[in-house]
Amino acid sequence: MRNVFVVLGFIASILAVILAVTPLFKIAYIPSIAALVFGLIAFYFAKQKQLPRKSIQLIFLLTIIALSLSTYKSVFTIAEVGNTEELIQKENESELDALEELEDIEIDQ
Amino acid sequence: MLLIALYQQTNFMLRSIASFLIFFPLIVFSQNNAIGTDEKLTFSASYNMSGLLTEIAQVTMETSEVKTSSSTLLRLKCSAATYSSFDSYFKIRDLYESYVSPTTLTPYLYKRDINEGNYNKFEQYKYNHKSQNVESIMRKKKRSGNIEEKKNVKISKNTKDIVSTIYHIRNLDLQKTKPGDTQSFTFLFDNEEKTIRVKLIGKETLTTNIGKKECYKLAISLNNSTILKGSNDNLLWLTVDANKVPVYAKFKIAVGSGELKIKSATGLKN
Repeated sequence: MRNVFVVLGFIASILAVILAVTPLFKIAYIPSIAALVFGLIAFYFAKQKQLPRKSIQLIFLLTIIALSLSTYKSVFTIAEVGNTEELIQKENESELDALEELEDIEIDQ
Repeated sequence: MLLIALYQQTNFMLRSIASFLIFFPLIVFSQNNAIGTDEKLTFSASYNMSGLLTEIAQVTMETSEVKTSSSTLLRLKCSAATYSSFDSYFKIRDLYESYVSPTTLTPYLYKRDINEGNYNKFEQYKYNHKSQNVESIMRKKKRSGNIEEKKNVKISKNTKDIVSTIYHIRNLDLQKTKPGDTQSFTFLFDNEEKTIRVKLIGKETLTTNIGKKECYKLAISLNNSTILKGSNDNLLWLTVDANKVPVYAKFKIAVGSGELKIKSATGLKN
């Protein structure tokens, strides 16, 4: 039983770390909480049967890293648009092109 | 493997959201008394997962006047750009334009130039309302080379494009509409006529970035489409004033749900 929760805890904590480094870092809270729950259950079983707890400590460590990173990014990341020069150029070219196209269109006014 | 799966899922999610971004609904005609000639609305698009909102892109809706040798038209421009944090994963730079009559908002030329990750597509529709015909050009970039397709598409009498349809709703006289009333509208998208249904649900007061506003709450659904899910899950809030500014939208798509929130509104007509 302990092994099942250790495996689940590892999957959830690794997923949390991966999500925490991507722009979808806020979603990392979900697997982080799951990893904590799985880790605690695994810890309970390990304590009952006097089994090693090293792997469970690693789950908690990964989860703490994911949670710290997500929280840091939540506080300090500002949503701003990157380089839009190409888009602005495309908009201007498109307008000039449209003006030519509109000359061929019958407009009722 | 996990990384690849995550990347693919993120790409699909962003593509679906991008498809939706410019894709919320609308209604019809009469004289334009809501849309100004120098208006700019800015929105922030977010993806929602279990209540955790992630801001993904900025969407802007702008209007400007354009003059041809014989007439003056209104250029309706909608663009979407991902925030810098997403650019290295999945960069979106989309441009949708419609050149419409400033009085009736009837479209004459529609252009769509989308750039989403490695996916590029250009579309142009030239409307001939007398013969109910649209000259369509579509270009796609593929590994095997560029593809260009020219087509003549027959349309119904009131078929518009997606951008002018969006602006038409703001021009509706919603004061006369009763809660529960539904209207259907057709627009051309990917060379196919699509029907959108708009239902007035009622009025609600929302606190937005442009102040506390009383709003019309509208439910939007798209017939025969897999883009928008559910019938009452896609909602749009328009201010109860002469400008009918879209301040908030909620949408449900195949890979989750999202929302559009207004950030700023300038150059309003009234």
